[in-house]
Amino acid sequence: MKKIIMTISLIAALPTMAMAADNVGGCGVGSMIFKGQSGVAPQILAVTTNGSSGNQTFGITTGTLGCTSDGMVNSNMKASLFIQSNKDQLARDMSAGSGETLAALSHLLGVEAQDQIAFNRLTKDNVETIFATEEVIVALREVLASDVTLSRYQTAL
Amino acid sequence: MFLKWRVFTTYIIVYIFLFPLQNIAYAAVDNTYLAELIAKSRQLGLAERPMWQKLGHYVPNLVFSGVHGLVDNPQFYNAPDGKYNPQSELEATLASFYSDIEESNEQQNPQCLFIARFAWLNHQLAFDQDRLPYQKCARYQKWYSALNPSGLSLIFASAYLNNPSSMYGHTLMRVDAKDQDEHTRLLAYAINFAANTNESNGLMFAINGLFGGYPGAFSILPYYVKVREYSDFENRDLWEYQLNLSPEEMDRVLMHAWELGSTYFQYFFFDENCSYQLLSLLQVARPELNFTNQFQWWAIPADTLRVVTKQKDIVRKVVYRPSSATTAKHRLKQLADSERDIVRKLSIQDLKINDPMLSALPDERAAAVLEASQDYVSYRRLTEKNDVVDSSMLARKLLKARSHLNVISPSLEAPVPETHPDKGHGSSRLALGAGQSKSNNFQELQARATYHDIMDSDNGYIRGAQIESFSINLRHYDFGETRVERFALIDILSLSPRDEFFKPMSWKISAGWQRTHSLNGTEPLAFSMNGSAGGAWSNEENTSLWYALLDGSSQFNSNLGNGYALGAGASAGLVFDLRSSWRIHGYVRTLRYFLGQLDTSSTLGLEQRISLGKENAIRFDLALSSKLLQNYNSFTLSLQHYF
Repeated sequence: MKKIIMTISLIAALPTMAMAADNVGGCGVGSMIFKGQSGVAPQILAVTTNGSSGNQTFGITTGTLGCTSDGMVNSNMKASLFIQSNKDQLARDMSAGSGETLAALSHLLGVEAQDQIAFNRLTKDNVETIFATEEVIVALREVLASDVTLSRYQTAL
Repeated sequence: MFLKWRVFTTYIIVYIFLFPLQNIAYAAVDNTYLAELIAKSRQLGLAERPMWQKLGHYVPNLVFSGVHGLVDNPQFYNAPDGKYNPQSELEATLASFYSDIEESNEQQNPQCLFIARFAWLNHQLAFDQDRLPYQKCARYQKWYSALNPSGLSLIFASAYLNNPSSMYGHTLMRVDAKDQDEHTRLLAYAINFAANTNESNGLMFAINGLFGGYPGAFSILPYYVKVREYSDFENRDLWEYQLNLSPEEMDRVLMHAWELGSTYFQYFFFDENCSYQLLSLLQVARPELNFTNQFQWWAIPADTLRVVTKQKDIVRKVVYRPSSATTAKHRLKQLADSERDIVRKLSIQDLKINDPMLSALPDERAAAVLEASQDYVSYRRLTEKNDVVDSSMLARKLLKARSHLNVISPSLEAPVPETHPDKGHGSSRLALGAGQSKSNNFQELQARATYHDIMDSDNGYIRGAQIESFSINLRHYDFGETRVERFALIDILSLSPRDEFFKPMSWKISAGWQRTHSLNGTEPLAFSMNGSAGGAWSNEENTSLWYALLDGSSQFNSNLGNGYALGAGASAGLVFDLRSSWRIHGYVRTLRYFLGQLDTSSTLGLEQRISLGKENAIRFDLALSSKLLQNYNSFTLSLQHYF
């Protein structure tokens, strides 16, 4: 019973908690993601399973959670959140030069059709560098910056 | 001092009780117009209309006349008796539209908080904007444009036996965006209903869930988060049913999702569960849709899917999204034996990445081998098989090697199963049969509330996954006795085939009442709990599945010697499809009861099922048993009907 009350009060307290979480370099869920341990993806996912903590999922109308507003991922966080949540698949797709996760990332970064082949090529050639550490976003930004045509896509990261 | 304290507490009490009212400060209520609107709403009988009933989540009371609302957050209803009185709720809602609450991150004006109600009432009553000023609802507008919706999809996640909360499957809704296509669907948003709890113990979750112990709420999150969860972590295939809704119908659902997003329901595992609540959201799309009234006692996700797809023209397209394991298995199957061997050795570091066996392969084949290894290594990492020294280093090496090969691999998608999950046999079953046990003839009636056993056709279900719940066998013997032969509360069997790559455990768990033999010659109905663990193996064509399990059994009844029997033993069997419509299951089981009433019991059995179309089947079961040093035979022939 205690637990239920706790949970309900947690839900009720969401908007205020969300405000409090709004400072540390981004957002509640985001800052958890950016801790950068290998087990982070399971952590994000663990909170979304069919019966899990309500204070971590994105409610629909719960104000701002730092990286989300009313459940929508803020545009400056979209690519980072996607990359952090899909690291393994993205690495696989990049090394193979094709795949759904790579297509989705290209879409998020706004890669235009005429640049797609070059984008796939560049990420394939540098896949080892990009995934050398947990700082995938930083590495990807640097790799993109090194390419004259593709450097403009780093702004979405 | 004392007086002051009293004033203070009174203030606090007044504040607490009046707080909700305080929130709705009515600045310039046009009382005449409000009265007009109310009169018109009564005249039109709006509160009795299906749409108002659906927006308020009203359902008929079970015993008495009248209705009650299922939402458990009191703020969802504007009238004090709004949960039980749709009319007064409608009137209070109309009044609330005059609120002058300014929208902020913490609060919304009732016109925005109840945006679907506002839209519907406006449509029915044609509000005069001069006499009832409209709010902008900037937060909703921002949310809506961020969703950029073009359509809705109903997503079905297949059964997952290893977690009681999702063993029957799960459904969620996806909001497909205008700028997405089949390749970028991962970026869509998903609307999900789930119980809010930190409970990690699946059994506790199931028990609490049975009695509404958790609040359930809607949330919205990127679809890829759900895909990773189901596809990678739980190895569940997803089915995406793209719905054929007009823009207005879609908007109604989204507006209502917005309304539900800030509220909660008591979560009930059987009836008011994720799938039921998703239907209650989806059915506001059209006035004539009523999905939820078809579920009185329980709502199984596959059945909720069925009531939707039964609607004419509602499904535009069905997309199958195999889980990572399904895809990996399929790709491994496409490899030659020697290539599979390299994959296996690479993945457990028995083979170096620069081994000549790999470099000797042409680029296309090497790419296929490396990709399969990547899949397998990440499967092992996710299922926490940490027997490799540095699995992330290994993953990076594979990545690097693959990136050095300049070939694009063909996409090898696992084939779409022939039967979609909404097209399988009905999840309830009724059977009439006759047979003989110990030379006594009997007639039998069997009824099963849910859902599937290993003898039923697998079409639309997961192979080897059995869940029977609330299943009863009633027998009338020719010597005059009519009795319950078996009543299963729950009977779960998970047979997952093992191979050189995937080594899942198979298991069984059951609880219920079962006739057994007593030393005093009676056949008491004993409460039994059984559990098993072992392995299963399949042939490549998936037509036969054999298994071996270690079993534990406990039985309780005052007629048993000492009142109970505790035993352990083993069983093995073969489930074999002679044709797609004809299944045979042969098994042998022996149990040694070593505590309580002592006995060694054994059974040798043969079960057969012949399908007669999708919803009917003939079953013939034969068993030779030995219990308490007595041997006897029994058989049953029955006609089964699924519905």
